[in-house]
Amino acid sequence: MDVLTTQAATWGVPGPIFLTLYLTTAGLVLLGTLLHRLVGFAGRRPSGAEPPHPIPLAWLAGGDRLAVHATLGGLRAAGAVGATPQRRLDRTGPLPVPATPMEAAVHQAAAQGVPGRSLGNDPQVLVALAGLRDGLVRSGLAPPPSARSIARLGPVLLLALVAVGLVRLFAGVAGGQPVGYLGLSLLVLGPTAVVLLGAVPRRTRAANALLRDLRRQHQHLAPRQSPAYATYGAAGAALGIALFGTAALVAFDPAFAAEAEVQRAMSGSAVGGSGWSSGGGSGGADSSGCGGGSGGGCGGGCGGGCGG
Amino acid sequence: MTSADAVPGPEQGGYGVGIGWRPEIAGFVAELPGLRFVEVIAESIPAAGLPPGLAELRRRGVAVIPHGVRLSLGGADPVEPARVRQFARAAELLDAPLASEHIAFVRAGGIEAGHLLPLPRTREAVDAVVGNVARVRAELSVPLALEPIAAIFDWPDDELDEADFLTEILDRTGALLLLDVANVYANARNRGADPLDLLDRLPLERVGYVHVAGGAANDGIYHDTHTDPVPPEVLDLVAELCARHRPPALLLERDGHFPPAAVLRAELDAIAAAAGYPTVT
Repeated sequence: MDVLTTQAATWGVPGPIFLTLYLTTAGLVLLGTLLHRLVGFAGRRPSGAEPPHPIPLAWLAGGDRLAVHATLGGLRAAGAVGATPQRRLDRTGPLPVPATPMEAAVHQAAAQGVPGRSLGNDPQVLVALAGLRDGLVRSGLAPPPSARSIARLGPVLLLALVAVGLVRLFAGVAGGQPVGYLGLSLLVLGPTAVVLLGAVPRRTRAANALLRDLRRQHQHLAPRQSPAYATYGAAGAALGIALFGTAALVAFDPAFAAEAEVQRAMSGSAVGGSGWSSGGGSGGADSSGCGGGSGGGCGGGCGGGCGG
Repeated sequence: MTSADAVPGPEQGGYGVGIGWRPEIAGFVAELPGLRFVEVIAESIPAAGLPPGLAELRRRGVAVIPHGVRLSLGGADPVEPARVRQFARAAELLDAPLASEHIAFVRAGGIEAGHLLPLPRTREAVDAVVGNVARVRAELSVPLALEPIAAIFDWPDDELDEADFLTEILDRTGALLLLDVANVYANARNRGADPLDLLDRLPLERVGYVHVAGGAANDGIYHDTHTDPVPPEVLDLVAELCARHRPPALLLERDGHFPPAAVLRAELDAIAAAAGYPTVT
């Protein structure tokens, strides 16, 4: 009986031994990945009492796209930009002083009549966004690119292990071996690896805490309070968009949001329309699965019709 | 309770100038450094607890007055007990120095009008208001102030004039008066009368606090909109009122079409200047 089993063992390694080695390796990789996330993404709060400017906050909350929208909203509230019915941006006033590089870049792009939809691809805006990201990394609110690369290493190794496990599983089935435990392990490891790979945080936990505090402190800017943007001014509008998302820009100026194609941009965004406004979940992960079509019910079909 | 339930406020110097707290401008109100009191729509206070902005104001020691709009004190039917309980509960949650409602009706025969309607100035109407105020005060642990509303018409069967009507209600209920200076101005202007005549005949020592609001003329009729700037004539009336008997508190009522913060601050400062109270901005 013993001899028979040994001879029939897949790849000459008995099931229990393989499974022990396999799960130990997977467990170590998983442990390393989680430890790295714990340490490498802690970040630190800015020391000054002044909260960061709305535009970097918007980047933390919703990435490049929300940073662009917060800039646009602030400039709009200041009367510096508009949009034409042809859905191109337009310069309607001087650049407010002082202006951040993002504001200068968006204002410049507006002067050139860039369509609102492609504002995020404008070369000057891209340069300003890169500067914004660098600043956030330096201040400890965004993880350095290297930390994000390392964070992907673990899940990739796990996926490789899943591939090995799958091959073993098929070989085992072909050889008439029991594969129940291996199958069960793969059912757990596969989705875990995919989720970890997709959910590499864009911001540190310090940034999570900062956003949570600021959202609480500035609840009056949440769209459900119907904030009086005229009273709160340009800074209030930009901060509202940063903390509560593009919905705040749509509430602030629906006609402009429609003409600047902000709603259409939203549906393709990595930022769920409602996901981050609740401030919950693992937040800040720019996984592609996070926002595809879930933009607060404002999908591709309603981009034109929502503005009225 | 008696008419001696006056509400002079902080250190008896009065509450000064306040503003109607609305969610839309909660962030603006929160940053007014000298603010002593606000008013909030009583029906907007959830039974579960205060909205965070109001709770923060209470922590700062800012008084919050619940202002009812749905009790229908002037209705022929008795006020609905559930509404009275909610109103009284709002005052308790806010630890309010007083509460206020309108001398008006908002429903009749089960039909909701959706807004405040003026009463005919008859003895029967006085009786109805007195009965309903007694029902409210039985539940309410703080003084009640009653606010007459702006009316762009008079009922044909009026038996009393405005001053007698109000004085009789105040005398019989022991309630305070919430005087809306913008209403006094609107009523006088739309009837071609002098607003000072009414001021001179009202028991000004019974004024709990005062509403000041903006309005706009449309087709020759002045509407007390609460969404337009406070006209200079209303500020003049504030000054006239304060020269006769300065009320302990004056409140800017702005319900919509909110202007930039600097404009709102200027309106608050103008009211403070007209009343001789310190600025709150």
